[in-house]
Amino acid sequence: MSESSSTVVHRPSDQQPAPAIRGARIQLVGLTKRYPGQAEAAVDNVSMEIAPGELVMLLGPSGCGKTTTMKMINRLIEPTSGQILIDGEDVLRFDPTELRRGIGYVIQQIGLFPHMTIAENVGLVPKLLGWKAARIAARVDELLDLVGLEPSGYRDRYPKQLSGGQQQRVGVARALAADPPVMLMDEPFGATDPITREHLQNEFRKLQRELRKTIIFVTHDFDEALRLGDRIAVLRDRSVIAQFDPPERILSQPADDYVAGFVGSAAAIRRSGLTTVDDALRHIELDPIGDEPSGASVTGDDTVRDAIDVMLRSGSNRVTVTDRAGVALGGLDFSQICELWTRAGGHDVR
Amino acid sequence: MSVDTLGSAFDVTSGGRWSRGQLARHLAMPAMLLVAGLALYLWVSGQRLDSIESRVLNAATIGDATLQHLTLTAIASLLVVVIAMPVGVMLTRPRLRWLTPVALGAANMGQAAPALGVLVIMAMLFEIGEKVAIAALVVSAILPVLRNTIIGIQQVDRSLVEAAQGMGLTPLQVLRRIELPLAVPVMLAGLRTTVVLSVGVATIATFVNAGGLGDIIVAGIKTARTPVLLTGAVLTTLVAFTLDWLAGVLEHSVRPRGL
Repeated sequence: MSESSSTVVHRPSDQQPAPAIRGARIQLVGLTKRYPGQAEAAVDNVSMEIAPGELVMLLGPSGCGKTTTMKMINRLIEPTSGQILIDGEDVLRFDPTELRRGIGYVIQQIGLFPHMTIAENVGLVPKLLGWKAARIAARVDELLDLVGLEPSGYRDRYPKQLSGGQQQRVGVARALAADPPVMLMDEPFGATDPITREHLQNEFRKLQRELRKTIIFVTHDFDEALRLGDRIAVLRDRSVIAQFDPPERILSQPADDYVAGFVGSAAAIRRSGLTTVDDALRHIELDPIGDEPSGASVTGDDTVRDAIDVMLRSGSNRVTVTDRAGVALGGLDFSQICELWTRAGGHDVR
Repeated sequence: MSVDTLGSAFDVTSGGRWSRGQLARHLAMPAMLLVAGLALYLWVSGQRLDSIESRVLNAATIGDATLQHLTLTAIASLLVVVIAMPVGVMLTRPRLRWLTPVALGAANMGQAAPALGVLVIMAMLFEIGEKVAIAALVVSAILPVLRNTIIGIQQVDRSLVEAAQGMGLTPLQVLRRIELPLAVPVMLAGLRTTVVLSVGVATIATFVNAGGLGDIIVAGIKTARTPVLLTGAVLTTLVAFTLDWLAGVLEHSVRPRGL
């Protein structure tokens, strides 16, 4: 267990200089929640530290206390004991309402208010904070743009006129309205169909690369945790941390059988889906162009899993790697991938 | 995030509040009421009225009785709103929730007890007159508004309340901006029931000398004059239907958009 490490794992394809981190540091110290009349604590002595701008996934089966842990941070549930520090300040000393206005909150049911337009939903917190109407309107448009909804087409609609995926985008925009440094997300994409969910996840990941908020994201979906998390906290019953590590390390070095159970089979294949060809090329040299079959090509943005997939489909153990414009850079051989995987062992390929 | 990947936007424009069908339905009711009123008028005018009948069946007497009836109903309904809505809201707050069954039980007794009995007992305890009639009306018609206020707020999706709390709305803001607007349709349905109930119960106000259309009905029964009895009964029905129709229009007009 290596939850003491608090380094931010930068996403590999952050080639451009990383934008300024606007998140806050969150520390949970011995956080415990006990409900009266229950022998066992719902959340038992949880401690973790989350760096500014980090996206941490709380992963665990339903009923393990992950949502309870999260809801204590914005005090929808009051802790029995322990401390929650945001940028060093104890949240229990804040007025709960003031505290929550500084923390974005997205829930699985989305919770858009059906009697308010999209603009009213997104602009609600700014309005409560006393912003001027013009500033609210500008902010609403900016946020709708950010989540990919054309402001002029959506701001005056009502939630029921939007699809589930669109509603969840609005939910994210609403949580971002007052530009909070911290976001809490409780299975936000859980209720959408698998295709929409993957879209939302990918776009949310891109969004987070720009926003650099500190995000605590509750999920029971291991693939979602892998896809989005800078680090994953795998939780047992009573929210006890089984392992708190970057996704690659959880895949390559699960702390125990419990974590291994989440990883399941095909851990190496899953890892290859987290590593881009560009990452791999930092460790291996491309061969000169050789006898790669035509059409069997990947770009640096594709994952190593995509490369293997292309190999399997084209019946060849070689693919051409091209740049974004389609110009061939060289050939990649399956044996190079195998060698890299063996060499890297448990280490971070990214 | 791009939109086109998630299917094209719906082309739903939030048009007028009234669809053609709804408008037709809402206009059909007053037309029918007019026809019924006209039929009653023509039938009564066609009768040869004796002196007893014509003492009651004249514009001044009927007008006074109807106005009195409407006044009793309006004051009682207003009192019900002023009492039951705030009480209903308070009974949904966490601290007072345990009182809800008690209050609903009391209001239930008010509705279940025969209104005439309540009226007589109250008249014996206090005095006869309008005040007692209105008090009896409030007792017997308070349940629908109270119950629907409580249910209207309770049926608001808990996840909306949680989202609102999580966003940093104070409990009062949650109530005013989320719970109450979403409870309005149910609350107004309760008011509609209360108003119609009051119109019926108000006919017994005549027994404590508080007037109303009950005067005409009772006069018709006592003097065995069918045209008088019928006029009182039909007018009461027309008043009830008219108020029900008005409440329906109101209910539709203030229903929050987007629901």
